[in-house]
Amino acid sequence: MILTKKDVPNFLDSLKNNYQVFAPVKQDHYTEFKEIENGADAVLDYSNTKTPPKKILFPQSEKLYCYKVEENGVQMEEKADEQQKVIFGIRPCDAKSFTILDKVFDNNKYQDPYYLNRRKNTILVGIGCNAPESTCFCTSLGGGPFDTTGLDLLLVDIGDCYLVEVISEKGKNMLTSCKEAGEEDKKKASQVKENATLTTSINIEGIKEKLDNNFYNEIWDYISEKCIGCGSCTFSCPTCHCFDIVDETADSGGCRIRNWDSCMFPLFTLHGSGHNPRPSNKERFRNRIMHKFNYFVETNDITACVGCGRCIKNCPVNMDIREILEEIQGLEARSVS
Amino acid sequence: MQSITTAVQNSAKKLLEENKVDVVIGFKKGTIPLRSTPVFIRDSNDADKLEWNYYCENNLANYLRNKDQKIGVVVKGCDSRSIVALMKENQLTRDNLYLIGVPCSGMIDRKKVNRIIGDKEILETNCNEDSLIIKTKDSEQTIKLNEVMHNSCLKCNHKNPVIYDEMVAEPVSENSNTDFSEIKEFEEKPAEERKNFFIEELSKCIRCYACRNSCPMCYCQECFVDSTNPEWIGKSAENVQDNLFFQAVRVFHLAGRCVDCGACERACPMDINLGLLTRKLYKDTTEMFNTEAGANLEDAPALSTYNMDDPQPFLLKE
Amino acid sequence: MEKEPKIVAFLCNWCSYAGADLAGVSRLQYPPNVRVIRVPCSGRINPLFIINALRNGADAVLTSGCHPGDCHYATGNLVARRKFALLKNLMDYIGVEDERVSFSWVSASEGTRFAEVINKVTERAKKVGPNNGLFNKESGCGGCNQ
Repeated sequence: MILTKKDVPNFLDSLKNNYQVFAPVKQDHYTEFKEIENGADAVLDYSNTKTPPKKILFPQSEKLYCYKVEENGVQMEEKADEQQKVIFGIRPCDAKSFTILDKVFDNNKYQDPYYLNRRKNTILVGIGCNAPESTCFCTSLGGGPFDTTGLDLLLVDIGDCYLVEVISEKGKNMLTSCKEAGEEDKKKASQVKENATLTTSINIEGIKEKLDNNFYNEIWDYISEKCIGCGSCTFSCPTCHCFDIVDETADSGGCRIRNWDSCMFPLFTLHGSGHNPRPSNKERFRNRIMHKFNYFVETNDITACVGCGRCIKNCPVNMDIREILEEIQGLEARSVS
Repeated sequence: MQSITTAVQNSAKKLLEENKVDVVIGFKKGTIPLRSTPVFIRDSNDADKLEWNYYCENNLANYLRNKDQKIGVVVKGCDSRSIVALMKENQLTRDNLYLIGVPCSGMIDRKKVNRIIGDKEILETNCNEDSLIIKTKDSEQTIKLNEVMHNSCLKCNHKNPVIYDEMVAEPVSENSNTDFSEIKEFEEKPAEERKNFFIEELSKCIRCYACRNSCPMCYCQECFVDSTNPEWIGKSAENVQDNLFFQAVRVFHLAGRCVDCGACERACPMDINLGLLTRKLYKDTTEMFNTEAGANLEDAPALSTYNMDDPQPFLLKE
Repeated sequence: MEKEPKIVAFLCNWCSYAGADLAGVSRLQYPPNVRVIRVPCSGRINPLFIINALRNGADAVLTSGCHPGDCHYATGNLVARRKFALLKNLMDYIGVEDERVSFSWVSASEGTRFAEVINKVTERAKKVGPNNGLFNKESGCGGCNQ
């Protein structure tokens, strides 16, 4: 199928009749996923958004329910989001992250209704990366600039139009008035795909075993030394999913809110007694790496990183996960202590 | 720049070889353009990793507390002032520090660069005397350095370290007076406009607390935002009021201690204009109490002292 | 009926609280909108108290202590004075209405003045209206009106 670029705003506007449409829009000098008011606001020629679109399905702060104490008793209101959504122009790495989040929110132990409700009502329209950035390393994690994992449709930019690859039935039903792609277009698309090469790669082969054997390695002291312990990396990560549930109350009412939490914060593991099992940046940083490249692999058989590179770009002290993984790869397979 | 780099490397090498310090904290080349990254050098053979350039934006005083080692640290003007401020609060012992002083000609503000070149990836950068050359995939652009310097650097009047054990280069000339024009301009705006501006800015906040954690003066055992009893503030980033409340109290807690290094603003991944808040407090403490945080070892921090004739314009008019 | 403003007053134990007492025993009339919190000294007042009172729905906050030079602890109010000056400026800067945050020095012998101050603060609070502004938690709690 073919979607010409000048038809995109109209296409998005028409989608707005049936869906909440999210797309990258400009904010300051970067782009962020937001619900769009006009189809023309969508910026599809973008590197990648500052923060990932996971916030659409799993908001940073989400009201689970609210209550109000009134004369005739307590009024409760559950917050359910039933709206149909389209995330338009999502990068393949971010789309893949949803398949990873699915494992957290939908498994044989827990089904999270808040996330899953949104997830089942959301259509993901991806856009391939003609020019991956230098901080991208998706191919090292089984993804790729035109990977279709998790997507319903994938757009490939071939000049003045997009070649639309149909991946799911859900996606197909959205395209009612698109014309078929010609041979020429298909050729262009495969050319574009060939030209999109990544400049960096990391080797994650065997990293899980290395981590298993080096939990007590002194390398963690050095790796985490410059980390200042903020939550930039976790909050800009498309696969980080830890949360904390708090009650926010005013005098006669309140809400139960689920907020993103970050394992980089001391409060994340602080016990009521005052004891903190992860007392310093070293333990906290180690946990972040362990969770992504070891624990998650153990429980879900997939690495909890998609290689989007946001943590590299957003870190205030330029911690680079690629460097860290390289250092860990350099370790002896056997533990030192 | 290159000569400073070499001098820093030599100094660090010597310090480590002579066992005068256990570790030297400085900067090395970052992994992406426009970035340098803090580095901890323990082996004199690694000293040549050290670098000095326009991207040494972090305040290294942040790494000095609670260390039982002797530390050599590369300091620019603001780092040295933070060290002075921390010494006054008994957080650092001068004897455990060796300060390698670097005269600073300002740091480049990445967000200013990004605003100029737009959402294009910077592949390579090059600095010469007064301009920055940015290479992107299909263009090359030359920008004047002072167009992309960080605001707090442009207004800085302590470019040279205020204390040091050695200086690695000749001091640079200082701005003669402090320029608060930007703050004064903002103060002139109607209250509604100021409020809306902050609400707009703080709606970007993701509560990662990078601003707090990048600040050498933010060292409370328990920050008021983390306290659950009393719960001073809501924890959701969605609540713009609370985001602003957090920033207001954060900058207030830094009043008289903040040296206006701008590390918080630089650390912000969402590029929120925090300078407008921090610098307001800096201006008020400077103007009302005639002190400059960390400028010398003698003056007490503004809020731990008083004068009988301090201004009190805040009183209810009767 | 017009909604009466809620005012939180932080009064120092030695001067302003005693001033309020004197106003009481002298049977002076002043509006009942004020809720007094007694603190040992104006130096004890953390600016967070003031901000938090506003955030939790107070329409105005009054902070009052001994006159400079008269502090029971010699210098408590002098140190506090610097904080208050900065706080007032900052509140103003981020767009909090002037009427929401008030400061005054009231001594133990100034019962009449205490009543006047409360009159004034209440009048100001009424003028500026309910606190739906910056730090009001209720308005901050998104679309659920809670």
